Amino acid sequence: MTPSDPLKLVAELLDLPIMDKDGRYCGIVDDVELSGSAGKETRIKALLVGPGAYDARLPRWAFWLISKVAGRRVARIPIDQVDQIHTVVHLKCRAEDVKLHQVEDRVRAWIPKRGAL
Amino acid sequence: MNPLELTLGIMTAVGGFVDISELVFAAKAGSLFGYALIWVFALSTIGIMVFGEMSGRVAAVAHQPVFNLMRHRLGLKLGLVTLFASVLSTLITTAAELGGVGLILHYLTGAPYLLMAVVGVLVLGASMWVLPFQWIERTYGLLGLMMIIFAVALVAIHPPWREVAGGFVPQVPKGLSTTELLIFGYFMVAIISAVMFPYEAYFYSSGGIEEQWGPKDLPNNRMTTTVGFALGSLLAVSILASSAQLFGPMNVGPEVAGSSALEAAIPFGRTGLLIALGGMLIAIAGAAVETCMANAYSVAQFFGWEWGRHKKPWEAPRFTLAWIIFFLLSLAIVLTDVNVMSLVEYAVLFSIVVLPLTYLPLMLLANDKKYMGQFANKWLAKSLGWFFFAVITAAAIAAIPLYLLTSGGQA
Repeated sequence: MTPSDPLKLVAELLDLPIMDKDGRYCGIVDDVELSGSAGKETRIKALLVGPGAYDARLPRWAFWLISKVAGRRVARIPIDQVDQIHTVVHLKCRAEDVKLHQVEDRVRAWIPKRGAL
Repeated sequence: MNPLELTLGIMTAVGGFVDISELVFAAKAGSLFGYALIWVFALSTIGIMVFGEMSGRVAAVAHQPVFNLMRHRLGLKLGLVTLFASVLSTLITTAAELGGVGLILHYLTGAPYLLMAVVGVLVLGASMWVLPFQWIERTYGLLGLMMIIFAVALVAIHPPWREVAGGFVPQVPKGLSTTELLIFGYFMVAIISAVMFPYEAYFYSSGGIEEQWGPKDLPNNRMTTTVGFALGSLLAVSILASSAQLFGPMNVGPEVAGSSALEAAIPFGRTGLLIALGGMLIAIAGAAVETCMANAYSVAQFFGWEWGRHKKPWEAPRFTLAWIIFFLLSLAIVLTDVNVMSLVEYAVLFSIVVLPLTYLPLMLLANDKKYMGQFANKWLAKSLGWFFFAVITAAAIAAIPLYLLTSGGQA
């Protein structure tokens, strides 16, 4: 499946892991942004990644709880940055180009870089 | 198929099969019900073979571990519930294993149990930091082969082999009172849970991806999950049968985690005792590492983080932080001085409730030709999968009532 193929259901795309062009995991498709309106063609404009995108998918109390722990950040990946969609969404770009991996990089700063085989 | 890799894979599966829950429930089951619960071990072993093979096949073909699939199949809401439940049950399991490590180090050294649990965490944590995945898996799995002493000890005490073999036939002992029947039922559920722990599927499938399996590794996967798990399960059955032979007739209840080691001490004296304790220490320590990593795998895969111990710890920083936190949380549970046997009880109880939610999405994906192509489940895997799904669902429904009615098998 490629981004230009018709998607029968957004459900096919939701909750798939995302991998950047270097083969690094960089999030999950938490929501999608659609274009169009009633009576017009609907297309996927972008993938939304991050706990802020859970808003429409969880009960209010659960979203409140998660946002207290993980914040409300959302990264937006334009659909033209998507290369292939299979069991993983493959990106054409690096994670950093679409503001993914920010938390990963922040945590990395705290991890000692020695001692491992 | 590389014969050396295959042999190592099988040996690792054998040495890594038994953990503290199987040790405890095998010894207790033997002392209370003789050989009558052997068939439940055999049945659950076939169950973990079926789902283990499936999770390895999905990892090799779809290159997706269980928790990625679970979220995609169950959706965010039910996925989060499953994640929370499985993290909680696996965390308690890690705590039980760490408690077991502390106890055995205490038996071996005489040093305080809680201090030994802290030492255990430091050593295990260091091994996870230093060693890459394959070394972690092989080191604990191969050293765990010391557990073979239990099979040798069983042979040495000359059990009634006909009765032992009879234990493989599904049965409920005759003449049990209602209370005893309920306890028998509780042990059935506990053994199913202990053998089919959900973390095993998370760890095994993630391990397949750590080792970059592809379709060419499928024969290896099949042999490891069938031959390796079957031989590993025979070690648990040996502990049960020795307990039936040695403890049952004398009304000895193996009430502490180390009781099983006496089964090797009786025929082989001090040497047997030390080998048995050494084997138990490595097997339980290996299970502590596996459960801790399984939790880190689950969280990392659910949220799409970098993960794996084929990478350096700083190349998958949130995954690394996750396993360190899970180790520390498990240690905190142990340091409350909660009884290790109680932790084992809670671990099997929580795990059985999570089992159906773990294995259903896995089975649905392994059935799906769109993802799996020619490697999708055929009729045998499908039939066995649904049969065992029914078994674990029934066990999950019965678990809490049986626990309450029997006060955790003590009634």
